[in-house]
Amino acid sequence: MKKWIVAVGSLFVLSACGGGDDTVTMYTHNDEEEMQEFVAGVEEETDVNVDLLRMSSEEAWSRIDSEYPDVNADMMWGMLHSFALVAEEEGMLESYESETWEDVPDEFKDPDGQWYGWSYWFNALAINEEILEEEGLDKPESWEDLLDPQYEGEIVLPDPGTSGTAFLFVSSLMQIMGEEEAWDYLEELDENVGQYSQSGSQPAQLAAQGEYAIGITWDQAIFDRMDEGYPVDIVIPEEGVGYDLDVAWIFKDAENQEAAKKVIDYIGTDEGMELAAESRSMVTKPGVEGTIDFEPNLIDYDAVWAAENRERIMQEWQKKFD
Amino acid sequence: MNEVSTEQTSVFYKRKTKVEKGYLAAAWGIAVLLFVFILAPVLAVFVQSFGIGNGGFTLENYKRFFSNSSYFQALFNSMAAGVISTLVILMIAIPFALYVTRSKTMLSTVYRGIGLLPLVAPPFIFSLALIILFGRRGVVSQWIADFTGLEVSIYGFWGVVIAQILGYFPVAYMMIESSMRNMNPSLEQASQDLGAGQGRTIRKVTLPLAGTAILKAGLIVFVMALADFSNPLVIGGGENFLASDAFLLVTGQQNLEMAAVLGVFLILPSLAVFLFQTYLLKDHEVATTTGGENNPLHPKVKATMFGISTLMAFFIIVMFVMVVLSAFVQIIGINNEFTLEHFSDTSGWDFLRNSVIVSFFAALLAAGLGILQGYMTARKNIPMKKLMEFTALFGLAIPGTVMGIGYVLIFNGPPFFLTGTIFLLVMNMAFRKIGVGLESGISQMQQLDVSLEEASADLGSGPYQTFRRVVAPLLTPAFMAGFVYTFMTAMVSVSSVIFLIAPGMNLAAPYILNLADQAAVGRASAMSFILIVIVLACMGILKVIEKRSGSNV
Repeated sequence: MKKWIVAVGSLFVLSACGGGDDTVTMYTHNDEEEMQEFVAGVEEETDVNVDLLRMSSEEAWSRIDSEYPDVNADMMWGMLHSFALVAEEEGMLESYESETWEDVPDEFKDPDGQWYGWSYWFNALAINEEILEEEGLDKPESWEDLLDPQYEGEIVLPDPGTSGTAFLFVSSLMQIMGEEEAWDYLEELDENVGQYSQSGSQPAQLAAQGEYAIGITWDQAIFDRMDEGYPVDIVIPEEGVGYDLDVAWIFKDAENQEAAKKVIDYIGTDEGMELAAESRSMVTKPGVEGTIDFEPNLIDYDAVWAAENRERIMQEWQKKFD
Repeated sequence: MNEVSTEQTSVFYKRKTKVEKGYLAAAWGIAVLLFVFILAPVLAVFVQSFGIGNGGFTLENYKRFFSNSSYFQALFNSMAAGVISTLVILMIAIPFALYVTRSKTMLSTVYRGIGLLPLVAPPFIFSLALIILFGRRGVVSQWIADFTGLEVSIYGFWGVVIAQILGYFPVAYMMIESSMRNMNPSLEQASQDLGAGQGRTIRKVTLPLAGTAILKAGLIVFVMALADFSNPLVIGGGENFLASDAFLLVTGQQNLEMAAVLGVFLILPSLAVFLFQTYLLKDHEVATTTGGENNPLHPKVKATMFGISTLMAFFIIVMFVMVVLSAFVQIIGINNEFTLEHFSDTSGWDFLRNSVIVSFFAALLAAGLGILQGYMTARKNIPMKKLMEFTALFGLAIPGTVMGIGYVLIFNGPPFFLTGTIFLLVMNMAFRKIGVGLESGISQMQQLDVSLEEASADLGSGPYQTFRRVVAPLLTPAFMAGFVYTFMTAMVSVSSVIFLIAPGMNLAAPYILNLADQAAVGRASAMSFILIVIVLACMGILKVIEKRSGSNV
């Protein structure tokens, strides 16, 4: 019995101290698959080990908010711009001037170095053309088209309660149409929605697999499915789509600051950005080309407005749809 | 708490039996642990649901629960799914158990194995398999669409029910089977000698004899289905269910009060069932036997039982085959090219290792403390022993989601900062299952005559030496039973630990759920496959150890 106690005890101690200085703990909303490649890049180029936990954006935010000031991670790689603005406002972030980020335009990073935008992504429709043909549906070209009764039960939309992709969709609709009109639109759209999914990438997968004809999702989720050989296509609605800067930051008083700084530095290097560009439409470093080969119709998305009104919008959403 | 403890100690003084200091200390230690890791989290959920700690007592959250149609819908869906799943499971498990216990072919042994197979898989595995088969573009759905033009979609309420039927079947089956196996065959023989046909004998003799076991099985399955968390998340298609909604309230909206209210509605039925089972449903197992073969079935009856069992066994096997297939092909149903790509998941392997370590220590702790407590409950007049026994057994009945929320409430802030530590994961898994070690410890002690220990004491051993040299070896089978059960359930459990994971301290089962959430079916299948293989391998190793040491699990 005693031996066990010693064994159990020593294991706990070991695991509690495990890691050391060059391990950094990280939250992310990026998909597991791409994140594993990023982590491999970090571990190859720096001497930092990364421990990762993936959640959808809203989940991650809710976790951070409840844990603060004792956040269980040192840094964040992959999060909505609007959350960075809220976190900055609440003093959750550490300032760090990274040299590798110098040539990245100012609009993509915080003047005090509290957050760094490494790529941007936008809403898009994943369309399964085989299903459209089989069911005799028209290919939608605009947000307005999605309200057509022919799509009843054929659309899958992520739930803004958990998904940042969905929040981007809802908040950019409001910026395109005005708030009142956007709520009317969402209520009408609800008639056609077959399923609300938890994560923002899931609609792309579900449309790709043919579970639904149309998924409201984000660009790279669709490109990945196209690369994998699914019969899926990307459509940018005519009215334009919202885009979001994807950011990285270090939490205030993070335990492994030095390691976290090395990761921020790495993201800003050419190697880091090139790796990111392999799985992102657009990255923020000048001269590094992402995966996209056309000019998407992006609206002038106001992330500050989104950050300021987020809570109110979410409450309204819950009242109407939950 | 206080009241009970004084009552207990007065009994203790009346008997004037001395408890050795070491046991007393151990008892207090276990009592504190039981309080901190089982009772306190549940109490915290209750307290939180009334808003206490956040500005004073209020019924506001309950008002909101009843005025908001979606919460009410969640309660209704969970209840309805629980009732339907339970009834269907019983209707399948009874003939299945009859067939397996009353036929001696190789096939019936195989069926027994298949019937238990779902125990070693993560609880949501059937949701995954059902989507692969019956999703809107599933392998079978497409076939149906081609021939009949009907569109099939498994997402939603009925998908959850079917997944629950497959997933919780083994629990009911195990209990009913063991009761039917231990039945005295002479009763059935007597019935048939007196002229009753086999059908009548089963209705009038066999089923009533197994009645308690069937009722118990039904209640347990109902509570498990009611608290089902992962199936609604994977296959529920956005329908509201209690446990998954409570989870989303915590993780998505950080609304712990409302989540606590949902938790209360999860725990009340569990508590009612638990109290009913512990205090009202006394085991009256009539005429059990150790020798004797069960009565064979008449060919006609056997054919029916065999038919139902075959259908179920076939279904379970198909589900597992689908998961294995989808692990080894690019995209099942769309691109069926062979690949090993899904297995090259570096974090996945780390999390599997974490799962094995955490489950191993949780099992060690649960079984060790469980049988120690069982020994003291059976032999020593430790204070509060009824309350301690109650708490440990209650731990088994608490829905994982409630436990998870309770742990977040208690351990996620001052004075404890334990979420995300391996310590808390181990404690969570160990104390949810400590009741199993305790129960098998007590029942084992009841079979051992006190004279053995008295003999040891008469020969000059002290109380601790007696425990070490005489009692502990005899308790090995009970320890193994507790260990195996805790290990197996810990490896595949999700609902509670999902609240407690952190970067670097993730576990395999929640990770697979996250993959399923990203709709990465191939990777989720691959990880599930490895998880199942690991659990089966560990069980195999334990079987070998057990044979070598001659003890029985």
